[in-house]
Amino acid sequence: MTAVLETRGLSRKFGGVAAVSDVSLSVAAGEVLGVIGPNGAGKSTLINLITGHLKPSTGRVVIDGQDVTGRKPWVIAKTRVARTFQIVKPFRNLTVRENVAIGSMYGPERAGSAPEAIGQADEALDRVGLSEKADLTPGDLSVADARRLELAKALAMKPRLLLLDEVMAGLRPSEIEPALDLIRSLRDQGVTVLVVEHVMKAIMAVSDEVLVMHEGSELTRGEPDEVVKDERVVEAYLGKRYAERHA
Amino acid sequence: MAEVQRHWWRWVLGFAILLVVATAPAWLLLESEQRTLASVFMFVVLAQGWNLIGGFAGYPSFGNVVFFGLGGYTTAVLMVKAGAGFWITLPAAAVVGVGFAALMGIPILRLRGHYFAVATLGVAEGMREVVINTGGLTGGNRGLTIPAVGADATTSYPGNTGFYYLFLVLALGAMVLVWGVARSRFGYALRAISQDEDAAAAAGINTTRAKIAAFALAGLLTSLAGAIYAFQQVSIYPDRLFSVDITVLMVVMAVFGGAGTVIGPMVGAVILQYLSEWLRDNLTDYHTFVFGGIIVLAVLVMPMGLVNFTRDAWKQRRISLLAATRKYRL
Amino acid sequence: MTEFLQATVYGLLDGGLLALFAIGFSLVWGVMNIVNLAHGALVVTGAYVAWKLNTAMGLDPYLGMFVAAAALFAGGYLVQRLLINQVVNAPIWMTLLLTFGLDLLIVNGLILLFSADFRSIRSGIGSNSLALGDVRVPYERLAGFGIAVAVTLLLVWFMNHTRTGLAIRTTGMDRAAARLMGVSVRHVYALTFGIAAALAGMAGAVLGTINTFSPASAPQFTLQSFVIAVLGGLGNMWGALAGGIMLGLVQAWGGQYLSGTLINAIAFGVLVLVLIVKPSGLVGRPFYEARAEA
Repeated sequence: MTAVLETRGLSRKFGGVAAVSDVSLSVAAGEVLGVIGPNGAGKSTLINLITGHLKPSTGRVVIDGQDVTGRKPWVIAKTRVARTFQIVKPFRNLTVRENVAIGSMYGPERAGSAPEAIGQADEALDRVGLSEKADLTPGDLSVADARRLELAKALAMKPRLLLLDEVMAGLRPSEIEPALDLIRSLRDQGVTVLVVEHVMKAIMAVSDEVLVMHEGSELTRGEPDEVVKDERVVEAYLGKRYAERHA
Repeated sequence: MAEVQRHWWRWVLGFAILLVVATAPAWLLLESEQRTLASVFMFVVLAQGWNLIGGFAGYPSFGNVVFFGLGGYTTAVLMVKAGAGFWITLPAAAVVGVGFAALMGIPILRLRGHYFAVATLGVAEGMREVVINTGGLTGGNRGLTIPAVGADATTSYPGNTGFYYLFLVLALGAMVLVWGVARSRFGYALRAISQDEDAAAAAGINTTRAKIAAFALAGLLTSLAGAIYAFQQVSIYPDRLFSVDITVLMVVMAVFGGAGTVIGPMVGAVILQYLSEWLRDNLTDYHTFVFGGIIVLAVLVMPMGLVNFTRDAWKQRRISLLAATRKYRL
Repeated sequence: MTEFLQATVYGLLDGGLLALFAIGFSLVWGVMNIVNLAHGALVVTGAYVAWKLNTAMGLDPYLGMFVAAAALFAGGYLVQRLLINQVVNAPIWMTLLLTFGLDLLIVNGLILLFSADFRSIRSGIGSNSLALGDVRVPYERLAGFGIAVAVTLLLVWFMNHTRTGLAIRTTGMDRAAARLMGVSVRHVYALTFGIAAALAGMAGAVLGTINTFSPASAPQFTLQSFVIAVLGGLGNMWGALAGGIMLGLVQAWGGQYLSGTLINAIAFGVLVLVLIVKPSGLVGRPFYEARAEA
């Protein structure tokens, strides 16, 4: 079976500094890949390189066997790739429902018209639990709800590959479990998910495989249980305290 | 689906009624009143043109007058130098306006915010200088005079009533166009772009194409208005047709009424054009001074524009003069 | 050859004055992200203050310029604090509109007060020139250039070595961070606008000794400031000086060798080209927000 997402030697330099260097990964259909690493490890840059928001300095991005390196974001979106942004980017001049509808207006399965797309938005809103706030504007949402909206916008595109950039940051512990359930149910539907997350417990619970990044490159990769035990990971990212607690 | 269609017919009916109501006065009005209304309609068109690129897409063009000037000069040059009839020059002006917007848009729509504003201003000012310095074609600073009467006239001069209708039809067209855009996927794409281009692109919107399309539509409306204006004025000069004041007026009107709304720019154009005429007649020496004061006051009291201001006041059942300002103050 | 040298000297000297017009404009843009369409009106106001002091009291414009600077600083501070601060966070066309309204108020207010006639100010130096071979260097222009360079140096020192200057620069870089550090952003914004207005006023007074002016000159000064700020890079004071001299030279040479106003067309062409190719300005640092990534 071919990988839904594959990168080969992906690198990006900003003025001589390598934000991402030589990252090769491969995620099969219906798998969840967790990406962790300290701040500045290049996690968000990795997502930006995959979705075309940044152009790679070197390396390739292959989605479903098709080389999409250097394509524009909207072209990549049409190959059923959806994403969220670490810093939420709502369309503040539209209602929550209209925000979500944009995804089905221009996503891979275009709705026939704007009113039709707005009618379809409730499905995605339901899944993230925002139905009751559909008629508010994003400015009236709490931090957690703004993250949910970000997720709903991506879901409305009916993606095959979903890239989540810290969708759980700022959520209370009680709010994390529903989010994890949602990721699991997406995976069960055959959606491939790449999760960048700071919330350690969350990523371990949901990932089939974990990629640990450090200073732009891959530190190690493996099943969540193995990765947590890896000493380099413990030192680079988790800190000694975590290792001791979980020894 | 049937419901949607019924909705659509209601709007068509509404516009038909509007058309009748708007045309009926033509027989009742004095010629001078027709002239005033014609200029009101012209500014409705210009403000709506700016609204598409500035209000919806969020790209604050300060050079839209370039389309106005190019449209006007296309008509004038073709009528004077090629002996073309006015009706043939209209589509030509539209082609020039749309074509120039698309060509200029490709490099310039990559700039954001003030940089875009300055670049568009530079293009408009530069184009005026080009027109001044290509005297063989454009008559340079001395301008061009379109033969409007006698044997040389290629199209008989429509007179005040004629131009009243021309601008009326164009203004209605502009309203319908913006109304359609506001409800379409394209309109949503523009509003998304005005907030966040990265997020819009991630949602599958071809941001480059949408921005150029919005700019081209602005070019279309504005160049047509310029073409009709040139014929109406008969004699045209670069300083008049490329005047930065015209750009400023369209921005002021669109923003005063409510940028990014359908009726805001129309409301702004009607109120401000009448106000400006009234001030000119009644406060001859002070009119620009007072006009400046009104702009300052309008910005401070209702930075979201009159339409949004009224809507909020209606929703909350109270008029709160500084509510919107509180949102934007430091 | 003499013609070329003469044009070069004039361009260089006028460029210094142009820089003094633009430096405040660039500062306001760079720190507050406000394009002040009333900037040219502030320059003209400065010129009228110096002119009035000169004609009514016989005050030399080189002293009058300090009065003009002080008056415009106070006025500028109040305008920012009371008016512009109210809509700083609104979409940018609102601040454009507000400053345009202010421009109309000031320009037409000046016309009502002083009429639309062209004026000039006589300085104590008089209209003598220094002769360098065949090339003439008028003392007034030389003085204007000297003042422009001195003020630029002073401003650079102020911005880099005083607490207030540091507060202004910090606020320009990151408003939220500045606030956390205890900077009163409202006050700093008002100060910045006040300084810009003071420099504009001073420039106006100096301009009056070299050229004629009228309220109608305002838009031209705003436009020139625009061009220079873009050429030099936003908020970059050395950039403004370099940009001003560049524009001065281009205008002087163009006036010498090109017919009519073709030089303006070229200037605007260059402006747009610079924006597209290198929006950070010719000598400026990169300004990332200027351009979309995709």
